[in-house]
Amino acid sequence: MDDMILTMKGIDKQFPGVHALDHVDFNMKKGEVHALMGENGAGKSTLMKILTGIYTKDEGEIIFEGQPRSFSTPKEAQDAGIVIVHQELNMINHLTVAQNIFIGREPRKGMGIDDAKMMQEAQKLFDMLGIPINPQESMRNLTVGKQQMCEIAKAISFDAKLIVFDEPTAALTETEIVQLFKIIKDLRNRGIAIVYISHRMDEIKVITDRITVMRDGAYVGTLITSECTKDDIIKMMVGRTIFEEPKSKSAVEDNAPVVLKVDHLSAGRRVQDVSFELKRGEILGFSGLMGAGRTEMARALFGADIKDSGDIYIHGNKVEINSPEDAVKYGIGYLSEDRKQFGLVLAKSVLENTTLPTLEKFKNGHFLNRTKEKDVAKKYVDELKTKTPNVDEIVNNLSGGNQQKVVIAKWLARDCEILIFDEPTRGIDVGAKNEIYHLMNELVKQGKSIIMISSEMTEILRMSDRIVVMCEGKKTGEIKIEEATQEKIMSAATQKS
Amino acid sequence: MMKKLKEYPFVRKIGWNRIILVGVIILMYLIFALVNSTFLSYSRVLSTLNYVCFLGFLALGVTFVIATGGIDFSIGPVMFCAALISGHLLTKSNFPIIICLVVAVLVGMIFGVLNGLLVAYIGIPPFISSMAGMMAAKGVGSVFTKTQSVSWPQVTEINGWFRNLISTRIGGIQFPTGLILLLLTAVICAVILHKTQVGRYILCLGSNKEAVRLSGINVKKWEMLAYVVCGTLAGVAAIFYVCAYTTVQPGLGDTFNNDAIASCVMGGTSMTGGIASISGTILGTIIIAVLQEGIMAMGLQKDYQYMLTGVIVVVAVYLDVKSKTSKN
Amino acid sequence: MNTSISKKSIIKGIGTQKIVVLLVLIALLAMFSILSPTFRNYTTLITLFSYSYYITFMAIGATFVIITGGVDLSLGTGMMCYGLLGGVLVVEKGFPVIVGMLVTVLAGTLFGLINGHLVVNLRIPPFIATLGSMMFCRGLGSVVVGGMSVTWPMKGTAQGWFRDIFRIKLGSVVVPIGFLWVILLVLIMTYILNHTKIGRYIIAIGSNEEAVKLSGVSVKKYHITAYVISGFFTGLAAIAYAATFQALAPGTGAGLELDAIGAAVIGGTSMAGGSGSVAGTLIGVFIMALLKTGLPFVGLQANWQQIITAIVLVVAVGIDVIKNKRLARQR
Repeated sequence: MDDMILTMKGIDKQFPGVHALDHVDFNMKKGEVHALMGENGAGKSTLMKILTGIYTKDEGEIIFEGQPRSFSTPKEAQDAGIVIVHQELNMINHLTVAQNIFIGREPRKGMGIDDAKMMQEAQKLFDMLGIPINPQESMRNLTVGKQQMCEIAKAISFDAKLIVFDEPTAALTETEIVQLFKIIKDLRNRGIAIVYISHRMDEIKVITDRITVMRDGAYVGTLITSECTKDDIIKMMVGRTIFEEPKSKSAVEDNAPVVLKVDHLSAGRRVQDVSFELKRGEILGFSGLMGAGRTEMARALFGADIKDSGDIYIHGNKVEINSPEDAVKYGIGYLSEDRKQFGLVLAKSVLENTTLPTLEKFKNGHFLNRTKEKDVAKKYVDELKTKTPNVDEIVNNLSGGNQQKVVIAKWLARDCEILIFDEPTRGIDVGAKNEIYHLMNELVKQGKSIIMISSEMTEILRMSDRIVVMCEGKKTGEIKIEEATQEKIMSAATQKS
Repeated sequence: MMKKLKEYPFVRKIGWNRIILVGVIILMYLIFALVNSTFLSYSRVLSTLNYVCFLGFLALGVTFVIATGGIDFSIGPVMFCAALISGHLLTKSNFPIIICLVVAVLVGMIFGVLNGLLVAYIGIPPFISSMAGMMAAKGVGSVFTKTQSVSWPQVTEINGWFRNLISTRIGGIQFPTGLILLLLTAVICAVILHKTQVGRYILCLGSNKEAVRLSGINVKKWEMLAYVVCGTLAGVAAIFYVCAYTTVQPGLGDTFNNDAIASCVMGGTSMTGGIASISGTILGTIIIAVLQEGIMAMGLQKDYQYMLTGVIVVVAVYLDVKSKTSKN
Repeated sequence: MNTSISKKSIIKGIGTQKIVVLLVLIALLAMFSILSPTFRNYTTLITLFSYSYYITFMAIGATFVIITGGVDLSLGTGMMCYGLLGGVLVVEKGFPVIVGMLVTVLAGTLFGLINGHLVVNLRIPPFIATLGSMMFCRGLGSVVVGGMSVTWPMKGTAQGWFRDIFRIKLGSVVVPIGFLWVILLVLIMTYILNHTKIGRYIIAIGSNEEAVKLSGVSVKKYHITAYVISGFFTGLAAIAYAATFQALAPGTGAGLELDAIGAAVIGGTSMAGGSGSVAGTLIGVFIMALLKTGLPFVGLQANWQQIITAIVLVVAVGIDVIKNKRLARQR
């Protein structure tokens, strides 16, 4: 019992309308890497935010190093030796790397800050970690992966006794991940306890000692990594065994007409010379690691960002797409990975969002025909089984899955032939996920064509008829579903050119 | 208690905010009438309406811009610039009055177009573009008139008929035509904002511009349109200003920005964009006008109005911010 | 080869925008000097400096606030209001001029504190909060003097010594020693902005407030400090204005904030927050002051100043906007 560095007992937290944490227990041994797993919304982040003083708990106790503690600010937690590496980057772009690492605890020199000393300390830190970053570089000049490394370096610099990594590898390249694992092992050997939040099952198996699973704000159980299988973990996470069998055969005829052809598309650094074809009734999966340039490709294709070169053909005719306006005119709809920022006008109603791209159709002379708008919005709410009290409900009040359905409705109302789904199920719970999959299958049956960008391997294998793999802005593979395996996709996704 | 009151169907239909605004207007009238019994006289009311008129047009225009999440505080000087240029043409160059009235509107529109181009197409922050517009309007007005003030003809003089736009004598009674025209414009604005495609786009892009753009809508066009409406109405406001106050001096006009923006935010138009109320703006305008008239009736300097308006603006926005944070 | 690299790094260090703006300033100076012989005159220089003092002080304040991502519209009417407050005490109530100066600066600091409170604690958008205090100050300044203008003690009178702070006569030569204070304050504020916690956190707040908060920094304190600095410097500006010009008239302050904000923005301070420099602002101030004083020398009405300033402002910000767009594309 003495080797426990942290015990959290009966932690309870209520948000308005949500019981975020329901008397959760969690404990950590000294020098262990402990995975915290669960679906989105399971309460992992909330639990860690309570531990690190970002939220305050309603009930329960935290015992850290044998002392009952309670942190009301991140600073207090830091002083006690508990640090979190956030999933979202918390970088101050206009400052240098060193200034970022030491923000809030700058070494003093007289009345001012000792920048020279800060620089040296940062350099020492990077040398120790073996990361080649210049501490004098301005933060905004670094790649996302490097910024993530800085965040990790910062966490380590606190003399931490416990570090929380919240999905640390999401933005890292393969080599950076290897580096990170080396660092984590090194930290463990020095007796530092590490909480590791991740969805990547393979990483969990490699790097962690124990696994705690949460579901719907409650503690489910703790496993010893070396004694359990992936299926055990998944079973605990979803509460039932899921059978996500890969699609065995493409549903698309070989001679199906090509609706979209992209020829040598280039846009900035992230999209270099990408060509592919999309057939009628096909789901074309786009796989690759974070930062492979898939979203950028989609945005350039859709006209959201400026492209440098490349031709786009629709039904064999060359078309000019220079703005989303053009793309929509040619029947392309884009469902962004970030619904809240790019997909929806959150403060407006289901009705207003649904008819946004098609407002032209609802014009009755100079005025909008509200009854007609209402009918159409209702029709899609029924068809997609969107859960909303009525069509005048503000979209912000809907759950993630239902918000996604509103975005889909928006493009269906526009009668788009080609739909680009960018991470269609991100942030959506398991039940709604299946509904979205079902919907997509229905759509292609009706003769629509879908480009699906996804970072989830199971999703790619389950949904796609054909898979395009990208790596660092280039297309590195095209695999038929019949021949696709995780290994094949992974090797293409990590293929360095 | 308050909550229950807010739930009454009647209250919900009219809108709590509007009921409060009307209440404030009545309360102000009561207070000012107690201090100065002439405050309820018809001439005072007409004088108040004069202020409501031109300020109303300014405030209606800026409501559209604020709805897009932008700001335009060049409207006061633009109004003056329009009045100076057209007045100069009328009195010094003897242009026909009807042309001069058109010129006034056109000058406002040109400023609106320029502002819109800078903000929507080039991406200059609205704050900076307003600042530049304000300086340019003052500068152009001064340069055009060689820093001379301009006095428009009296109603009895030749060309003075235009003053019937704001109030006209019918059977021995001064009839507030200007108010009718303002309310008519307000109704049109409300219909545009809430019942047409333009209004829907403006409100949506004020709420989330990028999402609207990615819905395949030419956001630049619609955003620019808001600024054009704003500038044009500032030109119209210029006409009503000279109808009531005759003389325009170069280099002034800033205080009216503040009054117009104050009217909007009081009326429930959100500074962060996406939410706008035309009726609220008109009620806000009336409050500002009554305040300014009341302070004069009490024999106080206009300075007290500035101070009070300042406090009102801050309080109005604070209440808006507070209600939003408590909802989340 | 080596020198070209070091040159490049020097330019990068100073910042391209500052170099461009400096070149614009030099070009303007050269243009005025060539076009007008009367411009090449010591008195013109003195006038130029006189205009630069109060704008510089306000602009330093504006710079700190804009770096946080906010804006302070109360600078112009505020300056007039604080100057009138102090002036009334000295001229009408017979307080020593030093007390008047202290009250002026204190009033500015107090209004800065109020602005900061409104923006930071009550979460009112900076534009609205400072618009409110702009109107309030305009009214207050006028009310305390009953709508009349106030002239602080003139040179030669018992209390007139304070005018020597900015302009002193040595023999028969007028020496603009105010410039010395300007340089000194620019240096101090540059140091504060770049090498102290106050400056570091003010930049960080403008760049990513949430991240600073998570670092355990009491964000609110530093955020408010920016507005207090702005108020304090507006107080100093009021003293400079009172000492260099004849009279302070209520209502004339409106619009002067645009000179200050314009100077900061032209000098490279980004309206989006997170970046800016006091030295750049100083260059911006001189462009503003030059346009204010120089145009009549080349036969243009002084009113062209506003039109030209508007164009310069739009071009300066436009270049910045377009540059950022291109940068974002390259990422």
